[in-house]
Amino acid sequence: MMSKIKIPSKKRRFSFVAFSILLALALLAGSWGHIFYAERANFFTLFNEQNAEYAKKFFSGLFGLQEEKPAFTDKEAWINAGKLTYETLQMSVMAIGFATIAALLTVIPAARNIADGTLTVSKRWYRWILFGFFRVIYIFSRAIPELVWAMVIVFILKPGILPGAVALALHNFGILGKLCAEVIEDTDARPIRNLASSGASNAQILFYGIIPTVMPKFLTYILYRGEVIMRTSIVVGFVGAGGLGQQFKLSLSYFHYTEITLLLICYIILVFAADFISEGFRKAAK
Amino acid sequence: MPLIELNNITKQFERKIALSSLSFHVKKGEMVALIGPSGAGKSTLLNTLAGITAPNTGTYLLDGVPIQHYKKRKELAKKIGVIRQQFDLIASLPVIQNVLAGRLGEWGFFKSMLSLFLPQDKQLAANALNRVGLLDKLYDQTSKLSGGEQQRVALARLLVQSPAVILADEPVASLDPARAEDVLAMLTKLVKEEGQTLVMSLHSVEYAKKYFSRIIALRDGEVFFDLPTSEITKEHLAELYLLKEMAL
Repeated sequence: MMSKIKIPSKKRRFSFVAFSILLALALLAGSWGHIFYAERANFFTLFNEQNAEYAKKFFSGLFGLQEEKPAFTDKEAWINAGKLTYETLQMSVMAIGFATIAALLTVIPAARNIADGTLTVSKRWYRWILFGFFRVIYIFSRAIPELVWAMVIVFILKPGILPGAVALALHNFGILGKLCAEVIEDTDARPIRNLASSGASNAQILFYGIIPTVMPKFLTYILYRGEVIMRTSIVVGFVGAGGLGQQFKLSLSYFHYTEITLLLICYIILVFAADFISEGFRKAAK
Repeated sequence: MPLIELNNITKQFERKIALSSLSFHVKKGEMVALIGPSGAGKSTLLNTLAGITAPNTGTYLLDGVPIQHYKKRKELAKKIGVIRQQFDLIASLPVIQNVLAGRLGEWGFFKSMLSLFLPQDKQLAANALNRVGLLDKLYDQTSKLSGGEQQRVALARLLVQSPAVILADEPVASLDPARAEDVLAMLTKLVKEEGQTLVMSLHSVEYAKKYFSRIIALRDGEVFFDLPTSEITKEHLAELYLLKEMAL
């Protein structure tokens, strides 16, 4: 017969995780209760006749049902939209280019293991100052959303694709910088330190050790941010930074519904192309 | 004059004593194996010999000059080359660039930059790879090579660097017995051909006896014995690897 042993009992403690789960459940129940009983809101009032009428009007407008000559059957409009798409593409490519250059120039001193000298087996007093300086700049530039950057920059420069590109680049520079600095911090120091024992100088260690090791991962992040920039370019366009976004806003204000449809088609093609291309690059980099 | 001269070297990490009053000499052309239980201080000793770890007390003369006087990495790289357990190479570079990394001490900055695009001293690299039997892998990416092949590429790099002393820290620990023998036989053969001096730490006493003429055993940071291979007996080894608990 199996002998009975005493199973040690698990110590129950009111942990942080348990507390947050309970709090989340309580908040959920409380807020829905408030909406239904205190505010007497009804979800179905959203679907009243008035709103249905508006929606019907908008969507039939998008498909150009009432119009004699919808924009998406018009050659002239297609050419115009094509130009705007090209502008948006230019803006995105410039943005990722600026962000990449700025991040690559600053990322090496911004890595903790370069600052404390564990990666290169050498210490310099000024490295911690550079580290702090670039990290603060990264935080600042990525803390401000691209839309806000765009508003500020369009205010200073005149509206166009250049301010849009600068705005997108500023926000993404901070993100890329942080991601790439973390890649350097995660690299295996052993092969790189071995270069030091075969007599390589710090500059040689940089080009023979650090850069070849981190580049493939950098490329993945750059391509990923490039995709995001392509999608966000329409948003910065709303505040006057040019391209498809700006035209989208204008068409919406003039109730030119079929133009909106056309712009959305172009935008979706652009995003698909961007995904496809960056996927191809990523595969090639492996 | 001995090539390596250690006198009363001690090294402490925090409170732990890694090396305590260690002294020995190594002459040019000697092949020395370092053995001893885990934590005996073999790696610390090799790092001290390589000039990576500075001892707390004692003197270390390399070729008659105190190690602290080798201010430049380039000077030290002519005297001492290091090969480790693994992870020696930059995996994303082609084999030829990893072999030519042994020349970085000789090259200036611009030559080394140019070499990334147009490999310099190609003949030297090809010769070295030929001697380790990997000439056909010249342009392969290093990460695609097996563990044994990677260690042979590291050997080719040492050939190109051509230091007076080679320090090897468990260079075959992560290889299977056949690959391990292969790499050991090759390393000891090359060292003899080049007239270099070799100090290697090893886990396997069998390999130490087979390939080395002198064995230094470390225990608790001290030299337990330092004898020619022929004079080592079973009793010596049994005592060296005796577990602490049993010794008490």
